Amino acid sequence: MRILIVEDEPDLRSALARALRDEGYAVDAADNGEDGLFNAEGTDYDAIVLDVMMPGMDGWEVLRRLRETKKTPVLMLTARDAARDRVKGLDTGADDYVVKPFDLDELLARLRALIRRTTNQTTNTIGIGDVTIDTAARTVALKRKLVEITAREYALIEFLARHRGEVVTRTQLYEHLFDENDSSMSNLLDVHVSNVRKKLGAEFIVTRRGHGYCIE
Amino acid sequence: MITQSIKWRLQAWHGFLLLCLVTGLMTGFYTYERRVKMQAVDNELLEAMTPLLPRLEGRGEGQRGRRLPPPREFDDGPPRFEDGRPPRPEDDFVPPEDRRGPPAGHGPQASERELQLLTSANIYYLAWRADGTQTVASANAPAGVPKPVLSGTKPGKAFRTRAGQREIFHLVPNGTIALIGKSITTIEADLRRLALALAGIGAGIVVVGFAGGWWFATRALRPIAAISQAAREIAEGDLARRINASETESELGQLAAVLNSTFTRLDAAFAQQKQFTSDAAHELRTPVAVILTQIQSTLNKERSSAEYRETLEACQRAAQRMRRLIESLLELARFDAGQAQLKQMPFDLAAITRDCAELVQPLAQQRGIKIFSNLETANSQVDPERLSQVVTNLLTNAVNYNRNDGEVRVTTQLNGNSVVLTVADTGPGIPAEHLPKIFDRFYRIDSARTSAQGRTGLGLAICKLIVEAHGGSIAAINLSGGGAEFTVRLPKT
Repeated sequence: MRILIVEDEPDLRSALARALRDEGYAVDAADNGEDGLFNAEGTDYDAIVLDVMMPGMDGWEVLRRLRETKKTPVLMLTARDAARDRVKGLDTGADDYVVKPFDLDELLARLRALIRRTTNQTTNTIGIGDVTIDTAARTVALKRKLVEITAREYALIEFLARHRGEVVTRTQLYEHLFDENDSSMSNLLDVHVSNVRKKLGAEFIVTRRGHGYCIE
Repeated sequence: MITQSIKWRLQAWHGFLLLCLVTGLMTGFYTYERRVKMQAVDNELLEAMTPLLPRLEGRGEGQRGRRLPPPREFDDGPPRFEDGRPPRPEDDFVPPEDRRGPPAGHGPQASERELQLLTSANIYYLAWRADGTQTVASANAPAGVPKPVLSGTKPGKAFRTRAGQREIFHLVPNGTIALIGKSITTIEADLRRLALALAGIGAGIVVVGFAGGWWFATRALRPIAAISQAAREIAEGDLARRINASETESELGQLAAVLNSTFTRLDAAFAQQKQFTSDAAHELRTPVAVILTQIQSTLNKERSSAEYRETLEACQRAAQRMRRLIESLLELARFDAGQAQLKQMPFDLAAITRDCAELVQPLAQQRGIKIFSNLETANSQVDPERLSQVVTNLLTNAVNYNRNDGEVRVTTQLNGNSVVLTVADTGPGIPAEHLPKIFDRFYRIDSARTSAQGRTGLGLAICKLIVEAHGGSIAAINLSGGGAEFTVRLPKT
């Protein structure tokens, strides 16, 4: 899962990025509206955390222009607690709305819900054969026994599981699992895939030569 | 208390005055009418007195002896009078001249004809000797006419009113008392009717006047009721309510207009206060969000000491920002409450400006901005600390809103009775629509240009308060060649 944070307050931006990375998300950050919009238009993020009050292009404008091309779920961050602002945000196409100062756990839960809604999941668990994925606890169990996996491996499993039955290209995987700061060495993805296969069984992830990977 | 309402008091005074006026008028009219009527009777009696007097005082006896009543007859009389038996017209004791027919004389004496006229006019006459003996009594004289009691023995005339009779009596020099009287029962009855009619009319006038007064008072006080109703609704919290002031020319209309404008200003003050509170809360949200998010994300798991350090530094920055904001808010509150004490002393504005320019120099250098100053000695009565705050703020703004490698020009000079400081930059200037509002609290040209530079949005508002507390003014304009210029004017010492 790859998330974009657009926030002009550096200390808030860094804390949010750290918290999201801890959750296993790949995180990109932009400190102004123009850069944020550029990133959002160029990459398929799973969600965007967008601050409203920013110098130059503000959050409303970024959202309005983004909606002309993309349906990426957007969570607005604002310092204004007025109902008028909330209505405006939701009408402009925001998917959720959090008022500063927010509780970090609540923000993370809302982000999870946002991503779940866009992939048509209604609960936090996805079951695939003997494997159960808990997207809230970010754990994977095989035959009801928890399997120890890294955050990156979890992200890989979750992304494939959310696109179950579809072939996911390597490019897509790179885009959603790694952020700008990760070195995109091509074999890194293969390492993660082979690790997951060792833990959950070789048939859990099917390779489609020349296309990508798939969970059936 | 109902008795304390203006309407009731107005009504009471109105009623009281009306009553006094009507009573006075009616009494006056009655008294006048009565006097006129009595005067007529008196004149009639006086006229009748002249011809009758000789007969009554007994002078006629000497002239016309045979016609005089025989004293004998009266000699028997006194006992009867003295036993209190009232003489009556049919008595034997009526004056003999009446029984014996009218006197046939002329001259000052009343003729029989005149006597008849008198009788037909209901005028009667009587006479007493000095010893109290009644000597003459006309046939129509009412019974029991008491002998007039005289206060002295000096001859003269006097009137009296007695049980429906008006009488005039005359003490003749020889001691005889002559009395002529007339019944005024009909006149008194007339007067009573008149009094009743007047009382009725008066009561009518009072009632109509009172009702009219009530109507007028109600009508006149209706706008006051409307005003107090509106004021009550406003007091209950409906600040948008206004008094309906249609008659702007009337005194109450003017009062309503004054109250309305007061309410409007109050409303605006409340709205401003509300906006200020919400802005202040809003300003605090971001640093609080920083602290919360930093701490929560750090505490998620074990971190390296470098990471903890970063978190603490971020929290410190946020806390500093809140401190600055709170200081600014307190400063504003002090000015608003009139508690800001200026420590004014004679000071050279140029010296203050030079110090501030030095302070801002490092900030300017970071962006390659040059500060040019042209500082003439400009003495004014100022609080140097507060004024430094103003100059530093203006210079910092001039640097922050400048382009890289731009210029800041600062001057001080004397201009007439003012000391003038100008700070000009080469930045983008202030958009015209924002110019009138840049000194408003929390007003920002760019709604989000906040955190990075640690600005509170209160700097210029505080500058304005400080300058105005010095009796000066502050203004901003856009320069034709680009950039903005701030001008501070202070009174010269």
